[in-house]
This record gives sequence, C-alpha cells and structure tokens, in this order.
Amino acid sequence: MSLEGTGRLRHVLLWVGVAAIVVFCLFPFYWLINTSLKTGADLSSANLLPPSPTLDNYTSIFEDTAFTMALRNSAIVAGSVTALSLLIGSFAGYALARLHLPFKFLILAVLLSISTFPPIAIAAPVFEIWTDIGLYNTYLGLILPSLAFGLPLTVYILASFFRDIPRELEEAALIDGATRFQAFRKIVIPLGAPGVVTAGLLVFIFAWNEFLFAITLTSTPDRRTVPAAIAFFTGSQQFEIPLGTISAASVVVTIPLIVLVLVFQRRIVAGLTAGAVKG
Amino acid sequence: MEGEAERLPLPRRGRRSVFRQERRLGAAMLAPALAVIALVAAYPICYAVWLSLNEYSVITPGLSRFVGLDNYREALGSSVFWGAMKTTVLFTAISVSLELVIGLAMALVMHQAFRGRALLRAVVLVPWAILTVVTAITWRTIFEPELGFVNTMLSALSLPGGNVVWLGEEGYALGVLIFADVWKTAPFMALLLLAGLQGIPGELYDAAKVDGANAWQRFRSVTLPLLVPAITVALIFRTLDALRIFDLPYVLTKGANGTETLSLIAQKELVTNRNTGLGSALAVLTFITVMGISFLYIRFIGGNIRTLTEEEE
Amino acid sequence: MVRYLIALGVCLATVGLAACGGGGGSGGGGASEAKTLQPSDAKGASGSVTWCIGKDTSGAFKTAVEKFNKQNPNLEAKLLELPENADIQREQQIQRLRAESSECDLLGMDVIWTAEYAASGWLYDLTPVVEAHEKEFIPSTVETVEYEGNKWALPFNTNAGFLFYRTNEVPKPPSTWEEVYKEAKEKNGLVYQGERYEGLTVDFLELLYSAGGKVLSEDGETVEIDSPETRKALEFMANGIEEGAVPKAVTTYEEESSRRAFEAGNATFMRNWPYAYALGKESGIADEFAVAKFPGFGGNEGAGVVGGYNLGISAYTDNPDGSLAFAEFLVTPPVQKEMFLKATLPAVATAVYKDPEVKKEIPFTEELLKAVEQAQARPVSPVYTEISEAIFNNVFEVLNGRQSADAATSKMSSEIEDALKRF
Repeated sequence: MSLEGTGRLRHVLLWVGVAAIVVFCLFPFYWLINTSLKTGADLSSANLLPPSPTLDNYTSIFEDTAFTMALRNSAIVAGSVTALSLLIGSFAGYALARLHLPFKFLILAVLLSISTFPPIAIAAPVFEIWTDIGLYNTYLGLILPSLAFGLPLTVYILASFFRDIPRELEEAALIDGATRFQAFRKIVIPLGAPGVVTAGLLVFIFAWNEFLFAITLTSTPDRRTVPAAIAFFTGSQQFEIPLGTISAASVVVTIPLIVLVLVFQRRIVAGLTAGAVKG
Repeated sequence: MEGEAERLPLPRRGRRSVFRQERRLGAAMLAPALAVIALVAAYPICYAVWLSLNEYSVITPGLSRFVGLDNYREALGSSVFWGAMKTTVLFTAISVSLELVIGLAMALVMHQAFRGRALLRAVVLVPWAILTVVTAITWRTIFEPELGFVNTMLSALSLPGGNVVWLGEEGYALGVLIFADVWKTAPFMALLLLAGLQGIPGELYDAAKVDGANAWQRFRSVTLPLLVPAITVALIFRTLDALRIFDLPYVLTKGANGTETLSLIAQKELVTNRNTGLGSALAVLTFITVMGISFLYIRFIGGNIRTLTEEEE
Repeated sequence: MVRYLIALGVCLATVGLAACGGGGGSGGGGASEAKTLQPSDAKGASGSVTWCIGKDTSGAFKTAVEKFNKQNPNLEAKLLELPENADIQREQQIQRLRAESSECDLLGMDVIWTAEYAASGWLYDLTPVVEAHEKEFIPSTVETVEYEGNKWALPFNTNAGFLFYRTNEVPKPPSTWEEVYKEAKEKNGLVYQGERYEGLTVDFLELLYSAGGKVLSEDGETVEIDSPETRKALEFMANGIEEGAVPKAVTTYEEESSRRAFEAGNATFMRNWPYAYALGKESGIADEFAVAKFPGFGGNEGAGVVGGYNLGISAYTDNPDGSLAFAEFLVTPPVQKEMFLKATLPAVATAVYKDPEVKKEIPFTEELLKAVEQAQARPVSPVYTEISEAIFNNVFEVLNGRQSADAATSKMSSEIEDALKRF
C-alpha cells in the first residue's frame, strides 16, 4: 500500500514515526551492547558510550565452556521444540480446522487453558516425575515442557490459517482421488506456509527464552540452556552481579534471533495477512 | 467472509462413512498434541490441584494432612492476596491498553510503504527477542537511583525527577514496571495488528475517500471495525500473559512498593516458604482469575474462537 | 452442557489419580530420626563425593578439590556448582533433597538454612564430629550448626559486617550508631542494604541485637520481638531516612548497589561485608577508606550478625564416610587459609587469624576475628525464611514511612507467631 497522498507533512510525520519506533525498540538493546563493552568501575556509570571500550566480556564468555555448551543446548532444545511443535501442531490444527470432530470447542478451550496455568506450580511435580522416569537433565526432559506450553498457541495460529485456505482446492484433490491426509500434505501445508513460519518463529523465541524449566530440570552445564546458564554467571567476587558478561551473553544470544527474523520476516507478515486475523 | 465452496451432494450413507473416516483421521491427528499436553501439563496440573487441598509439613517431609478448601480460605481471606490481585489487574489493564495503542500506532507506521520497511520489522521484534530476565536487569540498571542512566540524564539536563528513586516509590515503581512491559510487548501487538491492517482491502478506503471522508473518519469507520478480530486475538493473548507476569517485577523490585503480582506471591509461598499447599492454591486461584477474564473477553468481544470451531455445514 | 460435565469428570478423575499416585506421604525422617556419624567413620572411606555449593568465584574450591583428591587416592571429590544467588542455591538443594536424590553428597549451606534442613531430616547428625573439632572453631560459628541440642554441620566459612568509612571525610570512626547517623547527616550519608530482602533483616538485627533485643526465646518457642528495643531500633532507622542521614535510595540497595554508591563517592559511611574491602581497594577510592568494627547502639556494645556457610552431609548420600572425610579436609587450617586469601571467605578456624601471612594480606584480620566472635546468630528455626520475611517486610514499610514502629512491631510479632505454628 503506497503512501496515500503526497504531502511533505505526511512524509515528515512518517519518518518521525519510524525514528521514534527505532529509538523506542532499540535503546535498551543499545544499552546492552554499551554495557557489554565496559568492565570494572565503568559498569556503574551511566555513560552512553563506553569510556574505554573492551571486548573482554566477549572473550571471557566464549572461553567459558559452560556458555558455549549452553548455546549448543539452547539451539538443540529450541530447534527441536519448534520442529516438533510445527509437526504436531499442524496435525492438530488441521484436524480442528477441517475435520468433523465432536467436542472441538472443548478441546480448543482446554488447549488454551493449559497454557495459562502458572508453570511455577507444576515445576516441582514435573521435576519429581522426570526424576522418576529418568528424564531429569536430558534434552527430551527440557523439550517436552516447552513443547506442551508452546503447542496451544501453535495449534491456534495454524488452525486459523488452515481454516482460511479455500476449501475448493482440497475438494478438487479429494475428487481426484486423494485421501484427506494427502490433501493435507500436498495442498494445505504449502499454502499455509506463512502461518507455519509465523508460528515457528514465535515458538522458537518462546523456547529460546524459557527459564523456569531450564533451571529446574537440568543440573550440569552440558544440558543447561542459555537463560539458565546466565543465572550461573558470576563476578570475580561474592555478591557481584556481572553486568558486563551478562550483557555480552545477551547480545550474543539475541543476534541469531534477529537474523532469523530478518530472513523470515516477509513470510511472517504475508502469512499473518493471509489468514488468522482476518476473522 | 469465507468464500465457502458448495459441498458436493453425497448420498446419505456415503456421508456418514465419510464422517466416520474423518473422525478417525481427526482423532489420529489430534492424538500427538493431546498426548504431549496430557503427559507434561495436564497431569502435573491436576497434581497441583491435589496439592492445593493439603497442608504439608515443614518439619517432617512427606507428612501431609488433607485440609480441603482451607488453603483457599486462607488465601481469599488474606489482604496480601487481594493486594496482589488489585495490583495485577491494575497492571494488566493499564499495560494492555497502552500496548494496544502504541502497538496500533507502530502498526500504522509500518503499514506504509517505504524503503527499509523489512529492516524496521526486524527492529520491532528485538524487544520481544531479548531474554526477559536480561531485559529486567537492564531496566533495573537504567532506573537505578543516582548512578542510573535516567537520573543521570535528568540531572544533567536540569529536568525535574533527577532525584526520584524510581523503583523505591509506590506508584513510580508500578509505572516503571508497566513501561518495561509495554516496551517488551508493544511490538508483538504491532505485528498482529499489522497483519490485520494488511488484510483490509484497499477498495474500501477508496470508496470512503470518494464519499468525502477524511483520514480520521476513514480510520474510525473502515480501519477500526475491520481490525476488531485482530485486536481481539491480540488482547486475549496479551491479557493472559500480563495477568501472570513474574520475571519483570521479581527482578525490578522483588514485589516491593506496590508491584506484587499474583505470580510473585504464589512463587513466594510455593518455593521460598515451602508452603506447597497454600502456594498451589494461589496458583489455582491465579489460573481461575485468568480463565475468568478470558471467558469475559470471549463473551463480550466475541473473538474468533467460536467461529474457528463452528461445524461447517 | 454434557460436554462440560464430561470434562469436569475427566479432570476430577485425574485429580484422584494424582492423589493416589503422589500424595499421602507416610512421613519419614525428621530431626529425631537422623543418623549420626562418628569421626572414625571417615577412616578408610572410598568412592566419590559430590560437593554442591555456590559458584566457585575464585577457583579456590577447585584447588581444594584437586588437593584432596591427590592426598586421598581412594576418594574422588567432585564439584557441582550452583548459581551465585543464594535463593536459587537453596531451591536447587531443596529440590534434590525432597526428591531424595543422591546427587549431592556434601552440601554448602548458608548458615540460615541449617536448622531448616536439620528439622526436615535431610542431614546427618554430626554432633560427635563437631565436638571433636570444636576448639578449632570460632564459637559463634558453631552456634549456627546447632539445632535442638545437636550439631548438624561443620562450619565452613563465616562472615560479619563492618562499618566502612571515608578517611578523607571522617578522621576517626564513631563509636556509636547514633554518632554515625549524626555525622552522616552533616556529611554525605550512610548507605546499607535496605531492599525488601534478607539483607535488610541482617542490617536490622545488627541494631536490634546491639540494643539488647531478641527475636525468639532461647528455645525458639516464644516470640520475643515485641519489645521496646525493637521499637527503638525501628524508630532510629526511620528517623535516619527522614532526617537525611540515610538516602531514600537505600530502600533499593543490596550489597552490590550500596558498595557501588560508596565507591562512587556518594556516601561517607557504608555497612557491608568484608568482600567489599578487596573490591574497594581496586576502585577510585582505594586510598581513602577504612573499616571499623560495628559501633554500639542504645548504650551497648556493637553487635554483628554471623553470616557464612556450613557443610552438611545429605541424608540421602551414597557415601557418608567419604563426605565426612572431605568435609573434615575443608576445615583444616591450610585449606581455610587458602579460602580466606583467595576467595575472601573468612575462615572459621581460629588458627588462621593468627597466621602472619594472613595478617599481612588482609589488614583488618584482627578486627574481623573480633567481629565474628562478637556476632550473634540469626533466629535458629526451621521456618527461618518466613521469620525473615516477617521482619524485612515490616521493617521495609517503616523505612518507607508507610508504617509506624509500633504497628510494625506488632505485625512482626504476630506474623512470626503464625510462622511458628506451621507443623
């Protein structure tokens, strides 16, 4: 949609708006980068630019094997949660959107309400169950809770998208002799790809950020994910909160997400357009 | 709205067997999702409900006594609980409204075509992408008294407020909390609303212009009504999250100075005080509150949950 | 309608299932049923020992582990680090203990958790062991391992607060808190830990104990905090802020924030732990500050609060003998000295304080020893967490001018009574 009407005022307003958005969104991220380049006493100051910029914080976190392992663990867990979420979620979403099933409203309501239960109350029960069945401190043990809490949103988004795909296409395939499942695989999924991308990105960010289960269900650095690993960062002395290294770690951890978004962003918005929120 | 194709008429018997087939396929396709959720979430949730009906000994681990609804009575009778309820609802109301307004403004800007639009969309997701705990620590440092950025800047520019202990005063602390939350999630709202905007056909605007409507009137009579579904979805998800907020207040103030939310008191009883019974009851009460409010939303704003699952005929 | 009923039925059934599966504990353990270890048990021990303690900030823990393993070829000690934050450490330890996990053999516990763990039956009774070593330790540190007449852990390191002051503004440190506040008002103020957390309880108790007040009776059964001493201490702290001797910002300060404010030159006085000394010496005010022992209050001697960590042996360990051997190693003077010098973890072994090398490295060694000897333990109780909450919640409201000293005292008293009622 192009600019409605020309007019320098409108143009100026637009760019003021853009600038405002950029500053608003990026200032704290800038602050993180700023802090990550400071060490020692500089950390207490409010300087906009690091007085003596240094990459010490970055070198120290990469020298810390616990952090590099955490990066690997986060990638594995978040990646698996996203893949499984999309797989399982697309099946469920399709079933809810297209197939005749009893209790649909109930199922969807239950799905949504599960994800609203305060996770803190089930962290201990999950810990006990996991310890009993041997999932404690394992990848699968971390993947399952994030999966369970990410599925409802995924299912909802995918169901909305699938619903808005014109039925004619599937009907045509069915008449041609395809089974429902084949129609699902060959038509609905490709057409719903934007929805898949949207849901995938949201779930990935959610799983990447997950802290409570990460800290409850792991006990060694070789399974800990980044948010939990950051809780283990320490200054060189008791009580010290290592702002420098925490900031450096956060910058490192956010950049892949930004890259992912840049790569997929066109799909997201196109996707969101095609489906769900049209109503 | 939906452009449904006419279903080909099928003989009665064929139709029923098609239904049966569909039901079987549907069940099979739903099964994995339901299984994961049942194992990981549903069972522990029901277990947590059971926990809320007991009182657990601090002295003798494993010893418990069934107390029925006593924990709930204690919670509902405590001023701390109602204080947290008030704070949480107030926080949610203000925060979500602000996010809606700011998100809408951002969406309107992003909706315009200009160079660098793609980059802006990525920029807008940055607040959402940064780890929540880190965001909280960052805001805490920025608002630190005397040494923090805000106070240093205000003092340097001789503006009032340079001496305010932001996180140390009732009112201001809640303000900072709301600000930090709005910062983090307005972008998420913006994206959802942007999608809604992009779904509004251009012809409607053209027609309105022909009728002589100005920008504001176009916005009110074309944009807003057609955005309602998008707004509803965004509102529901954001409200559900805001009511359960934990990380931000925990790091910013530990719940002091009027920022104690329901999740904070549940965590305090459950984990810190090892009062499993009371803590679980608080979690269940939080859950009921959240469900109650979403139910109200669905009732009054409509929402497309119902439409999603209406049996198409 | 039918659908909802079915759903309700399913959920109730699951709750019932959960009840059968999970609930209804028979209640084992408890302090009365704990097993005891004798010093001789450590002889001939073998196997692995996992030491669960907070982050090894200086590498001193790792060095100790390596030394132990070299000296004891039959034993293998391993370090399992927990996060820096004490609250998370406690959560992580309790999580494993409740699950009766054998993952942690030796536990590094904050002194205030010792009674809680002991009461829950999570620790071995180490009375004979502690009594064998008792003369080596500073007496106040042994107080922190006592519960219901028995001793449940070996003290590992200790801590006591100090008054830090700027030498360029204050030539001689005042000898009473009243004087400190007066000078702070005239000069640049006093900072301490005033946020709504454990640190505030400590800072408040330092004044309360000095005034002669108490929280609980000797036997831990009666609440004695409702007293004129409490009111006096509260009013004193509130006035401090009101009259400008203490900046309002203090109510958002923890150890680190108060240290940074002091180092940035924004305060004349600071109450903090010894760790701030080493960091101060590396900061901009390195040559302009010194430490003094706590001033008196209310006409009495100054009183500190004992901090530090104890070593407890998990009741669920697979290797109690090995754990004991390792724990005893960690409290020997050479290891204690290393911890002191490298990690600024004040030793519990008195001998270390007489060591000339230590005295040279750490100029306030003598003061520290005196401070620890003079310090008192916080209330020893399995529900210490809730007692501390009752204290810091209410003191916090007083500091913010939202509650009177009277109201706060009554509230603290009744809240602590409620806490003691937990079964």
